[in-house]
Amino acid sequence: MQNLGLRFLALLFALTAPLAAQRVEVEEFTLDNGLTFLLLPREGDPNVAAGWISKFGSVNERPGVTGVAHLFEHMMFKGSHAIGTKDLERDLEIMDELDGLYAQMEAERAKLLEKQRRGLIADAEDPAARSPEHSQLLERFGQLIAEQQALAVKDEFSQIYTLNGGSGINAGTSNDYTIYFINVPSNKLELWFWMESDRLAKPVFRQFYAERDVVKEERRLRVDSTPTGKLNEQLESMFWQASPYSWPVIGWPSDLNSITRDEAMEYFETYYAPNNLVAALVGDFEVDQVKALAKKYFGRLQRNEREPGAVRTREVEQQAEQRLSGQAETRPQASIRFHTVPDAHVDEPALIVLSSLLNGRTGRLYKSLVLEKQVAVQAGAGVDGRKYDGSFQISGVAAPGSTPEDVEKALLEELDRIAAEPVGERELQKVKNQQLAGDFRKLESKFGLMMQLLVYEALGEWENINVFSDRIQAVTPEDIQRVAKKYFTETNRTVALYYTKEGTGPPGGRRGGRGRGPQGGRP
Amino acid sequence: MKRRDWFKTAAGGALATLAQAQDGLPEHPRDLAFPKLSYDPPDPSESRHELDSGAVAYLVEDHQLPLVSIGLTLRAGAYQVPAESAGLAGFTGSQMRSGGTTNLSAQDFDEEAAFLATRIGASIGATSGGGSVNCLKQNLDRSLELFFDMLKRPAFEADRLEIARAQTLQGLARRNDRLDRIQSREFRRLTFGDHFTTIQSTQASVESISREAMQEFHARSFDPRRMFFSVSGDFDTQDMIRRLNEALADGWPAGPAEPAEIPAPSHEPQPGVYMIDKTSRDVNQSHVVLGHIGIHRFDPDAFKVRIMNSVLGGGGFTSRIMVRVRSDEGLAYSAYSRFQPGTYYPGTFSAGFQSRNATCAQAAAIVVEEIERMQNDKITARELDTAKNYQIEIFPRFFATAGQVAGTFANDEFTGQKKDYWKTYRERVGDVSVNDVLEAAQQHLHPDKLVVLAVGDREAMLQGNPDKPEFSFEKLAGDAGIRAIPLPDPLTMQYPEA
Repeated sequence: MQNLGLRFLALLFALTAPLAAQRVEVEEFTLDNGLTFLLLPREGDPNVAAGWISKFGSVNERPGVTGVAHLFEHMMFKGSHAIGTKDLERDLEIMDELDGLYAQMEAERAKLLEKQRRGLIADAEDPAARSPEHSQLLERFGQLIAEQQALAVKDEFSQIYTLNGGSGINAGTSNDYTIYFINVPSNKLELWFWMESDRLAKPVFRQFYAERDVVKEERRLRVDSTPTGKLNEQLESMFWQASPYSWPVIGWPSDLNSITRDEAMEYFETYYAPNNLVAALVGDFEVDQVKALAKKYFGRLQRNEREPGAVRTREVEQQAEQRLSGQAETRPQASIRFHTVPDAHVDEPALIVLSSLLNGRTGRLYKSLVLEKQVAVQAGAGVDGRKYDGSFQISGVAAPGSTPEDVEKALLEELDRIAAEPVGERELQKVKNQQLAGDFRKLESKFGLMMQLLVYEALGEWENINVFSDRIQAVTPEDIQRVAKKYFTETNRTVALYYTKEGTGPPGGRRGGRGRGPQGGRP
Repeated sequence: MKRRDWFKTAAGGALATLAQAQDGLPEHPRDLAFPKLSYDPPDPSESRHELDSGAVAYLVEDHQLPLVSIGLTLRAGAYQVPAESAGLAGFTGSQMRSGGTTNLSAQDFDEEAAFLATRIGASIGATSGGGSVNCLKQNLDRSLELFFDMLKRPAFEADRLEIARAQTLQGLARRNDRLDRIQSREFRRLTFGDHFTTIQSTQASVESISREAMQEFHARSFDPRRMFFSVSGDFDTQDMIRRLNEALADGWPAGPAEPAEIPAPSHEPQPGVYMIDKTSRDVNQSHVVLGHIGIHRFDPDAFKVRIMNSVLGGGGFTSRIMVRVRSDEGLAYSAYSRFQPGTYYPGTFSAGFQSRNATCAQAAAIVVEEIERMQNDKITARELDTAKNYQIEIFPRFFATAGQVAGTFANDEFTGQKKDYWKTYRERVGDVSVNDVLEAAQQHLHPDKLVVLAVGDREAMLQGNPDKPEFSFEKLAGDAGIRAIPLPDPLTMQYPEA
């Protein structure tokens, strides 16, 4: 779960923070080209968790190239001038010729699609329908691909790390950032500096068209193949009206079919300059040695003076409740989302405490919806604070005999209760105790710490890891009531009701009737 | 295009000097020299302690954070439950945690654990069960009381049971929704046949689960003489041993029984191509898995097989199936092979991917071709080195935390792992040769015995790719033809006649 999983991680990070007694003492330094390093030596096994982050993600895209941040992330594993080919000169020539051929092939394909639209041919993908020129282009394209593959040192980037015991290598793209990470044996730390600075200094986007197909398969796997994948995507898209958060991280299918290698290069040039990057190391290393290696290897990257500005298009204030009602091969369920605040906003701690009051075995949702009213079999709430905006979501899966509407009503009742009655002292202390214990638990993993530092820094500043706990502990019952009244309003909410699709299992609820949407959903 | 120009300059302009070192940096990672790292794995005898009851505990102190973590493993599992009660083992585990104790109601138990911020769990799986507790050091006394109260005196409150039952029944109804779940369930059925690992709970079996049955299952399974503990974190070893001995001394249910042997499957899988038509959603992607019965973990070839599989499809981006199906052809996001040695009986070999309906046959043909190539040709020295070095270099990662050390050793003793397994691990990896890999492939891969299971849009998969007419499932199936498996009724697990 690259993109989606990381978003979930970001959510977890926002939900936890360390004790004052366990401050994370990071050594921070910045190279002349603007690249910042966060260093945290830790005792333990002979290993270093190492990563870096670009402070940009899908929110920085524009219509037409949605998904390019993530596609680009894939291209970062395709090698460099030094890695991945036996003949760089020919390799680069081939890629240029491929780009030219691809543009011509697309023009031929467009003609076929037009013929299909006019009913002149049955299937634009039928090889028999192609012009001789089109077939020649395809043949030449295939020959060049084969020639390039013959010159390739297959997946050399991954092979070198594997050979040297690098483990867990991967990357992830979110709305707000793109992160690259690995564990390396501590005696091989210089390899990390070589490999990462090399792919930033001289990347080559080999196998671009095959990789675009890989991403399309990834999209089918994550979105199309899952029972509620497409509906969730549409909900997200509906919730954000003006904000670029409205398009999926993985991109719209039409854009994935059309993004060019030039556009990927443009993205790299803009958002991967060293002044837009932060690196973090946690584990078994010497700070002085790492500083020297950082200068030696990353010092060669050129600063880009044209700093990308903040995202211009910001969400507009919602004027009326929005509703989505859909059918899927899933259990009947309801979710309600409200526009709230970005990450590290002063209201965020109260919203996080509020969500914790609702969650868990002893949370209000389980007690009320699952145990007492028995309208739901599970329910939960979460805060999603992103760089530019944020949301609060509360959701539940209907119990047999209940409808999504029943769940919606019960969820809203719990929010009303939060706004109307101050939370009791013991209940609030319970949530704060859990937060404190969580502050320690999240320090256990060196890899997890490395990821947290990078994400905190990408969204704001890493020091937030040390102040968040105090902010949570300072939340009062009045704060909680205040944010509930402020954000949980009718015009600020988006409601999604999912019904069990007809003919795929027991109905969504006897009272509501099979598959009936409140606004006359599909029969 | 401006951007292209920029890139070309970066590429073309500097070509003449590219081969030379840039900024005095080594040209290629092979030119880097690394300091030697010597590492010895921890010795299990240093953390192993026998408790008064006969139980065994591995204790590893780590005082970096004020947390204590305890895991309990014992022999109990779904393998002990007949088909008509399927679900009883899992319910017993989850309801131990959810249903309160004879001292504390479910709600009071939950409230107290939540207020202490102590995480307590219990579960029973296929062949093992147990529990876990993780708490702040300052709450250790009360957290241990709650943990052992749950383990000794679960109350299995009726209302919690009914909620879990309703939720489970709702889940059963949805068990044909996801292609990946259908695939793993049906592939296991095709390879292991009639075996406890393929028994599915049904509406009837879940409805039959009673409080009494759970009490009985708990009483016979939670035997303080046959427990394996792993303890890690901020505690004192002698103090912890005293606490565990006290907790194990009394209060356990009467009537523990000697656990039965774990039965091995006796099924002879039928090779061939099987298809499950699942078109209730309009998805242009199907899931394919190919495989057969594998090896036991004590097979003398186990390390050779491990390296062999790593080259074939287990080594991520550096393995052949991934390179060909994903990197070269762009046919799938995930493409792999697994050769998981069985702990108690031979495990399975499997390879798989998800691909566009039209290209599934092509990707399957590539996988078969790569399996056969492993048997016909030697792997390269580079492939061998990559696979072996990785296994050797990541070795310290197995013992990276106190929790891993205690957990690994406790689990090893519980499952009867060989005593020298970790001590000789790197040596045995290092001994594997190119010839060993070839022999392991010839001995343990069986392309003629492959069970091929494709789940998705049958018609579109059979139609194939008009640009690659040479690949088809018919061709893969040969004379035996393609066998259809219908989706079972999700509540009864009865399969309609095909």
